[in-house]
Amino acid sequence: MAAPIPFDTERYSQIGGIFAKLGARVKASRTFLLATVVFVVGWELVVYLFEIPSYLLPSPSNIAVEFYQNFTIIWRSTLVTAYETFAGFFFALALGIPFSLGVAFYRPLRNTIYPATVALQLVPKIALAPLMITWFGFGLTSKILIVFLLCFFPILLNGILGFSSLGTELTYFLTSTGARSKTGFLKVRMPAALPQLFVGIKWAAINATVGATTGEWVGGDAGLGYLIKFTSGDLRINFAFAAIVTLSLLGLFLFYLVVLVERQLIPWHVSQRSTSGMV
Amino acid sequence: MCDSITLYGVKKVYDSRNGPVHAIGPADLSIRKGEFVSFLGPSGCGKSTLVLMVAGLLPPTEGEIRIDGVVVNEPRTDVGIVFQTPVLVDWRSVLGNVLLQVELRGLDPAQYRAHAVELLESVGLGEFLKQRPYELSGGMQQRTAFCRALLHDPPIVLMDEPLGALDAMTRTRLRDDLEKLWLGSPKSVLFVTHDISEAVQLSDRVVVITPRPGRVEREITVDLPHPRDFDVRQSPEFLGYVKDISDIFMQYGVI
Ligand SMILES: Nc1ncnc2c1ncn2[C@@H]1O[C@H](COP(=O)(O)OP(=O)(O)OP(=O)(O)O)[C@@H](O)[C@H]1O
Ligand SMILES: [Mg+2]
Repeated sequence: MAAPIPFDTERYSQIGGIFAKLGARVKASRTFLLATVVFVVGWELVVYLFEIPSYLLPSPSNIAVEFYQNFTIIWRSTLVTAYETFAGFFFALALGIPFSLGVAFYRPLRNTIYPATVALQLVPKIALAPLMITWFGFGLTSKILIVFLLCFFPILLNGILGFSSLGTELTYFLTSTGARSKTGFLKVRMPAALPQLFVGIKWAAINATVGATTGEWVGGDAGLGYLIKFTSGDLRINFAFAAIVTLSLLGLFLFYLVVLVERQLIPWHVSQRSTSGMV
Repeated sequence: MCDSITLYGVKKVYDSRNGPVHAIGPADLSIRKGEFVSFLGPSGCGKSTLVLMVAGLLPPTEGEIRIDGVVVNEPRTDVGIVFQTPVLVDWRSVLGNVLLQVELRGLDPAQYRAHAVELLESVGLGEFLKQRPYELSGGMQQRTAFCRALLHDPPIVLMDEPLGALDAMTRTRLRDDLEKLWLGSPKSVLFVTHDISEAVQLSDRVVVITPRPGRVEREITVDLPHPRDFDVRQSPEFLGYVKDISDIFMQYGVI
């Protein structure tokens, strides 16, 4: 009865689908681009019309000029901050995911290390920053650790939730197949946990630059956070703004990197099915 | 024919926050090899509980269950289970979901592919092999779940209200599908439902269960030819069975 769909037809419709998706993506990003342009032009106009002095709020064009003039130092600072951000973030990923697995599936861990981590989480990270500097010095290590602290918890919490939320009936099905735990994990538990895990990873990605900047701010001699503190202290607000914008871009870069990976890994999830969904 | 599933004084009492809940039993019963037995009872009488106990997914509080003479005291892997909802995974296609049954067992999916396609075609899903579950209707999803439960050719199939979540029209169609699947390869089937005519259409025997705590009220052997198509379902014999069973539930005030 059921005639198999000819291979090339399916292929063709797939290509059509890709174009349709690309079109929607371009459309969506066009709206975003337009909004950005309106925002920047509006900002420029407000500064110009109300004659706001640049030590209060520099105009985008001033910031751009400043960025261009100080490109070398901004770029070098960016590399430092990016290194701290990425190192701390991936460190948190590498520890957070196995850890959440452990807590989800191994009761002794759930009863010991988990409450301890929660307690640690209740301490504001900013309060820990000076301690980290005292313990690990002004260099990169202390910053990476602060980033780690800020990224670890969201990954852990959402990982635990993801790994321990497999539906009752799906669990019954899994059990009734007698699957080895590794097979069951790879084919069912892990993919089922990914959407929730990604909530945590995105949250961590947002926290990461905050952590690096905080560390540099509290005690450091390099990086964008240090640059912002230093230049704004000197009332070089244009320069500070150029560094702030760069910092935002760095944060956005990491965030969208995660979003990109998410799209590849869980295209089947409700949140990913249409381009009109949330990021 | 010999017995496939036997229940000896099986009883389940749940410990809940509000004290113990006597869900079902004690129940004595046996299901022969290749027999299609329906459990018919009102909501909350312990039907799902019974299915889980037979599958070895839940221990009985008292009594024991034997499959082919062996006491069930751990999850059975030689059963196929269909739940009230399809329980498919969104990251796999229809075919992939069916093949998950054997992949989880560590078997080579390539060897089961042809059989999986054949099963899916027999329930009219031949053109939807590559679709994802969320691209299917509820009825199509449930048919996929049937195929997944049958792929490893289990001697025992447990179905817990598999048609419960579907609309009346789809139910009727799927009933015929189920009957066809079963006639194609007779297995011992324990089928849970609270739809009387569904039970009569599909079963060799209907086990009527009382309201909670569920007990076996009566066993009715349905002696009608298969397939029980539209004409058979209009016959006085068929309607007689339906009426007899309805009368029992009337007495209990359930309907
Ligand atoms: N995990 C549990 N803990 C405590 N009580 C439970 C549990 N599961 C079921 N029960 C109770 O046991 C009784 C039987 O439940 P069960 O799910 O087996 O009923 P059922 O016959 O399948 O009902 P339905 O037709 O609505 O699916 C119910 O009264 C329910 O409240
Ligand atoms: Mg039930």
